[in-house]
Amino acid sequence: MKSRLITRRHTISLASGVAATALFGAHTARSADKSVTVGINLSLTGADAESAKRIEDGAIMAFDEANATGGINGYKIVVTPYDDGSATAGQYDPAQAATNARKMVSNKATVAAIGPQMSGAGKAMAPILSEGNLAIITPSSTNPDITDPKFAAQYRPEGKAIYFRTVATDAFQGPYMANYYADVLHVKTVYILDDSGAYGVGLADAFQGQAEKKGIKILGRDRLDPKAADYTAVLTKIKSLNPDAIYYGGVLQAGVKLAKQAYDIVPKMIKGGGDGVQGPEMLTAVGYPANEGWYATVASPHVTEDAKMADWVKTYKAKFNVDPDDYAVTAYDAATVILAALKQVTSNGKEPTRDAVRDAIQAVKVNTLQGPVSFDANGDLQDKTISVFQIKQDKSIPADDMRQYHYIGIAPSA
Amino acid sequence: MSFSDLLLQQTINGLSLGAMYALLALGFTLVYGILELINFAHFNVFMVGSFIGMWTLQLMGINGQSIVMTGLPLIVTMVLSGALGVLIERVSLRPLRDVKGPAAMITTIGVSYVLFNIILLTVGADSKNYPNPLPPVQWDIGDAVLRLREVLIWVIAVLLMLGLHFFVQRSKMGKAMRATAQDPEAARMMGVEVDRVIVIAFFLGSALAGAGGLIFGLYYNFTSFIIGFTAGLRAFTAAVLGGIGNVPGAMLGGVIIGLIEAMGGQFIATAWTDVIIFSILVLVLVFRPAGLLGRVAPNKS
Repeated sequence: MKSRLITRRHTISLASGVAATALFGAHTARSADKSVTVGINLSLTGADAESAKRIEDGAIMAFDEANATGGINGYKIVVTPYDDGSATAGQYDPAQAATNARKMVSNKATVAAIGPQMSGAGKAMAPILSEGNLAIITPSSTNPDITDPKFAAQYRPEGKAIYFRTVATDAFQGPYMANYYADVLHVKTVYILDDSGAYGVGLADAFQGQAEKKGIKILGRDRLDPKAADYTAVLTKIKSLNPDAIYYGGVLQAGVKLAKQAYDIVPKMIKGGGDGVQGPEMLTAVGYPANEGWYATVASPHVTEDAKMADWVKTYKAKFNVDPDDYAVTAYDAATVILAALKQVTSNGKEPTRDAVRDAIQAVKVNTLQGPVSFDANGDLQDKTISVFQIKQDKSIPADDMRQYHYIGIAPSA
Repeated sequence: MSFSDLLLQQTINGLSLGAMYALLALGFTLVYGILELINFAHFNVFMVGSFIGMWTLQLMGINGQSIVMTGLPLIVTMVLSGALGVLIERVSLRPLRDVKGPAAMITTIGVSYVLFNIILLTVGADSKNYPNPLPPVQWDIGDAVLRLREVLIWVIAVLLMLGLHFFVQRSKMGKAMRATAQDPEAARMMGVEVDRVIVIAFFLGSALAGAGGLIFGLYYNFTSFIIGFTAGLRAFTAAVLGGIGNVPGAMLGGVIIGLIEAMGGQFIATAWTDVIIFSILVLVLVFRPAGLLGRVAPNKS
C-alpha cells in the first residue's frame, strides 16, 4: 500500500517534470532557436536526498543565471534531471545510475552532465559515458579509483577522461591531513587505526605514507573490527606508548565506539580522521564532551562561511529556501565549468558537440567560487583543497547541527 | 606507564569484558543443559535487552544516579528480557519440542534475525548514545585506572552468577532443572513439570542476557542493533570453552575469553583477536572435547 502510494506520487512528480520541460522547451524554441541539454544525475530518492537537492539547486542556480542573461552565445541551457536513487535500495542504486547514463548518452541534445553524487553510482556510469564520449562533472564523489589511470580500462575504456571532479579525492585527504598533523599541530609521533573497510584502510595507508615522509614516527598501526564493541585493549596500548596523536581511517560504525572509549582512556591526545568521521552520529551518538577536539577533513574548499561568499549564500537561500552546503558550491562550480566550456566552443562559431565540449572542459581554466579550476589528464582537479574541521560545542546552535564541526582552515598540500 | 601498570590495566579491561561474556554464556549453558539446544536467539535477546535497559533509564530520568544505584533499572530490564525469552520459547520453540533434528536450532537463528530486524527497522541503524548515570568515580593504581563502572560490572556479574549457581544447586526448582537435564522422561514420570522447567530456564537465561545488555550499555555508553553478533558469538565460545551445560564453566570461559581479548590487543594486535580466540577454542576442543570443566554427559536411558 505504502509503496504504491510512493510510486504514484513519484509518477506525478515525473509527469509534472516532463510537462515543465516541455513548456520550457517551447519557450526557448520561441525566444532562441538554439539550446543545449545538460543532464544532472543525483540520488534524489533515499538517504542522500537532502544533500542531492542542495547539489541540484547549486547547479540549477548557475544555469538559470546564464539563461537569464540570454544564454551562452545564444544557446539556452536545458536541464534534464535524473534520479539514481531507488526506494528498494534506500539510497543510490548503481543499476539505475547505469540506466540513467544510457539515457543521457542516447539523448543527442545532451552535451555534458553533472553528477553523480555517489562514487558507487559513478563507477556504474563512467564506462557508459566513456563510450558515448559524454563529459560528466561530479561535485561530490571522492573515490579515487574512477579517475585513477590504473583503472582506465575499466572506467574510461575509450581512453579520454570523461569523469571530471570539482572536489578532491580520498587519495588526498589522508596525505594532506598528515601534513596538517606535522606542520600545524607539530605532531611527532602517531598511532594509526583503521576500520578494516576499503575506504578506511586506503585512507589510513595514504596518511601513513605521507606521515613517514614528513618525519612523523609511526608508533603502531592496528585494525579495528567495526562489529566489535571493545577497543579498550588497543587504546590502553596506545596510552602506554603515549603518541602525540591518533589518526583513524574509517567510518562511524567503529568511529563512534573509538571516540567514546578514547575519551575515557586518552582524553587529551590529538585525534582525527577523514570525512568518515564527519557525520551527525559523531555529534548525537558520541555526544559531548567525548567528541570535542576531534579533527575531520572534507575533500573540498569550505567557502559557505567565507565573507566573500555572503552574497552568493544569500541569493541561494532566497531562491531555494535552504542553506547551501559545500557540495552546493562545488555543484555551482561544476555548472560554471560547463558554461565556460560552452562559451569557449561557441565563441568560435562552432557547434557545441559532445566532443568539442569534452575537449573544452579538459582544457578549461576558469575562476569559480572555490577558486581557479582546471583539470589534469585524468579529470582530477589541479588544485586540490582539503578543508579541516574540528568539533567544539557551540551551545547557541543545536547539538546535532553539523556546524558543530568548526572550520579551521586548509590542510597544507606539501 | 610501567609494564606492571599496563598489565594491571589490561587485566582490568579483560575482566570487565569477561564478566559480560560470562553473563551471556550462562544463558547458552542453561538452555543447552536442559534442552540440548543451542539458542542463537540469545545473541539478540542480549541486544534487545540493552535497548530495554536504555529505555528504562530514559523513562526513569537519566539523571537519576540514586535510582540506578538501587538496582531498579536492572530488575526491570531483567524481568522484561526474561519475558521476551519466555515469549520466544512459547511461540517458536514449544511447538517444535518433539521434532527431531536441527529444526529447533534453525528456528532460533530465524528468531534472532527477526529481533535484529525489528530493532533495525524501528530504532534505526545509527548507534545510540546510552544514558550515563553512573557517578564518575575512579581510583588510580599507579598509572592504571579502575573505574566505578568496572567494579560494578564485576559485582553484579558475580552476584548474579552466584545466585544462579545456588538456585540450580539448592532450590527445589533447581533440582527439577538438573533432573530434567539428566533425563526429561524420567523427570516427567517423577512429577517434574518439564514445560515449566524449560520456561524458567529461558526466563533466567534471557534475564541474564538482559542484565548483560544493560551492563554493556552502561559500560560502553552506546548501543546499536548490531552488538548482538560479536558479543554473542564470543559468549557462545566461552560457554563451549568452559564446557557447555556447566554453570561454573561458562563463568570461567567468559573470563578467559575476555582476558585473551585484552592481552591479544596489547601484545599482538586487535586485528588478530578472533584468530586467537577461535584457535584456542579449537585446541581446547581437540584435547578436551567436553570443554575445560565439562564432563562427558552420562548416557541417557
